[in-house]
Amino acid sequence: MNRIINRRMRLSVAFAPQTAAAKTDTGDSITEMRWFPVREPRSGNRYTLLRMKTRSGLTGWGECAHAAEQDSRALEKDWIGKSATLYAAIDSSSPLAGALDMALLDILGKACRAPLYRVLGGPTRHKVRAFTDSNEAAFSAVAVAAPKPASRNQGKSYQNQVQSLIQQLPEDRDFVLSAQGALTHGDAASVAHAIEASHPLWFDEPCSVSNLETVRKVSGETVTPLGFGRGISDAGVFQALLREGLVDIVRPDIAQWGISGARRIAVLAEAYYVAIAPNHDGGPVGTAAAIQLAASVPNFFIQHVPLPHDPKDREMRSAIVSGGLETPRDGFLQVPTGPGLGIEVNELALEKYRAA
Amino acid sequence: MRRRSFLTLGSAGLALAQKRSQRTPVLDCDCSFAPQQQRGRGAGLGQSSLAGFERLQSGLKVMAMKVFGVSLTPTSDRPYVFCKLETNQGLVGWGEGTLEGKAGATMACIEDFRDFVIGADPMQVEHIWQSMYVHSFYRAGPVMGSAMSAIDQALWDIRGKALGVPVYKLLGGPLDPRGVRGYYHADGVRTPEALAKLRETAIQQGVSCFKTGLPTYYEWIETRKKVSAAVKSMQILRENLGPEIDIAVDFHAKTSPSVASILVKEVEPLNLLFIEEPCPPENVQAMAKIARRSTTPIATGERLVGLFGCRELIEMGVVDILQTDINHVGGITGLWKVSQMAAVSGISMAPHACEGPIGGLATLHVNAAMPNFVVQEVCGQIQPGPTDKIWQDWLGFPAMRMVEGRFPLSQKPGLGFDLTEESLAKYPFGGTRPMARVFHEDGSVAEW
Repeated sequence: MNRIINRRMRLSVAFAPQTAAAKTDTGDSITEMRWFPVREPRSGNRYTLLRMKTRSGLTGWGECAHAAEQDSRALEKDWIGKSATLYAAIDSSSPLAGALDMALLDILGKACRAPLYRVLGGPTRHKVRAFTDSNEAAFSAVAVAAPKPASRNQGKSYQNQVQSLIQQLPEDRDFVLSAQGALTHGDAASVAHAIEASHPLWFDEPCSVSNLETVRKVSGETVTPLGFGRGISDAGVFQALLREGLVDIVRPDIAQWGISGARRIAVLAEAYYVAIAPNHDGGPVGTAAAIQLAASVPNFFIQHVPLPHDPKDREMRSAIVSGGLETPRDGFLQVPTGPGLGIEVNELALEKYRAA
Repeated sequence: MRRRSFLTLGSAGLALAQKRSQRTPVLDCDCSFAPQQQRGRGAGLGQSSLAGFERLQSGLKVMAMKVFGVSLTPTSDRPYVFCKLETNQGLVGWGEGTLEGKAGATMACIEDFRDFVIGADPMQVEHIWQSMYVHSFYRAGPVMGSAMSAIDQALWDIRGKALGVPVYKLLGGPLDPRGVRGYYHADGVRTPEALAKLRETAIQQGVSCFKTGLPTYYEWIETRKKVSAAVKSMQILRENLGPEIDIAVDFHAKTSPSVASILVKEVEPLNLLFIEEPCPPENVQAMAKIARRSTTPIATGERLVGLFGCRELIEMGVVDILQTDINHVGGITGLWKVSQMAAVSGISMAPHACEGPIGGLATLHVNAAMPNFVVQEVCGQIQPGPTDKIWQDWLGFPAMRMVEGRFPLSQKPGLGFDLTEESLAKYPFGGTRPMARVFHEDGSVAEW
């Protein structure tokens, strides 16, 4: 009988959470995590960089939209002392999972002395197609923001408003029509139908995804490709959109999901012959992560670069990460060859642009 | 138009083959779909698969590919199919694509991929995998899946060695540094005495799980006699192995959905870990019907290839556990992707392995990075057999033997073993042999 009890205890140990066991201190254990909130001077856009250091002296960088004190403390409690290569152990429900993932992978790449795409089995492409929010020749496409509707379900007059915006674009300019989930399903469906002949790359977030049956109404009335993903924090929602055939481009947010989280969503999408075009609203470290992701997965289509209009803001971004990372050539961003994320972060610039 | 212009319609193998032998490509297909016909901007005729990637190359190049058929006995139905890749920098990688009853076809299929591999940067495993899969046009069945698996594992072995880390670290693991939980088979252990002895050995060794099969073969419909015997065969396991040891039963698709539905329902009180392949694998709806009417967890997947082969099972939530095999599903790349997709739907992984030691060791690396991992199969008994001895001779350590109920993880780079061609030479390829063939009483073909 004693034996059985022993065995039981052993089993319960066997299936206990692994946190304690994983904290064996090797050279790659995490010793420090520090957060640097910054703010673009003109646009006011904010994001926070994570700097992670290991016992062996490696530094990894990550980025998130905002690191609340409470969340960053919780993350440090979980991860200080753990191996920096354990990216499979990330809890994707943490609001800082994306930043953590980027920093861990940056360190893994540096530990392997290889760019991240090489660690992950790439490069799957040698340049990364990019678009931004203003009509710039260097980018291969432009995001056109659908005007905020004056009221709900306006029908034809709203369609005309959108059409006239599109008509202002140069002919043959590829574009994404972006509605930020703000339209009713009725308006979304009629706009999607109306712009079919203009052949957008896709209609981004025509409506909310809170009810897949209403999304089905939109996709059922049009062949205009639809993009969804910004703000989706549950991989199961991507799975459901794909399973039901409601999405043509999946857009996991790079700051929220990080590289391996977005890669997991790319795996889901691959089974449905669908590509990813990660959402990106943040800073240049996020862009670096997105480039590594693009060069690591087979089913990547195009990357959004949230390049601000004002030169002062652009100056800040290239001060933080130099080397023309966010400047495409002939519509494509370059894939870097340095280890990890392939970037150097200028910490003096982080102090200079520190958000109050 | 813009999108079209960067589709590089290069024929990878073609260009490389040209480079190697300077032979003129034979363009047998004169149809309008042949990429060779699409001239003009961006068409990419004559470009190699490396074009544009020069700047991003690692410097490693695959120089040679060798394929081995290894028969442990001259009449083995599953000669191991191994693949060895050699690089320009001395690093070599080993992979396995053993496919029961189809050794010759798998070896030939690996050879068919020669042009995809020779000259390639072995670090680009995802890219090479995609090219093998997509550019094969006909997509993958088990022969191609096994051939791709062998090449994929060998590439990962090289990748790990080149980057100086075990493969599980490249995948973000190990989630449990103590190793990977596994189960042995309990073949033929059917009497209370033998089972009690097995239980005792298991407790001593820390083994926490066993799997066994059903005792006989089944007609389309079975009634009381056979149903009771089958249920009893499972009851006796639980009664004598005790409540703490997990028990899995492999129906091996010997049962029709009708018979399986009855059995999985009747054994609900036994709290089995899972019932495996309650019916053949081609029809997801049939499997779903069985699973729907029972609380017994259902597992399947050892015969499935690629993410695509598992999509319907996962999205419909048909099974509780997927068992894709690293030697057929598409290697490390394929198994990892299936596990990631399954995890999103809350489906667990208990990978199959009933082949050689290379795939066996490779699967441990992927398991170590799966958040939804349950247990790993090995085709061996709790007492080491002759095969274990041969593996030990080849690799210098007892591959696929558990310590405290877990397969230990190697700390060495790559897949973590050294293997010489000489050690395999003692077991020359005995040719392809069919798997066992079983027939019903009336002579008709039976599943086994």
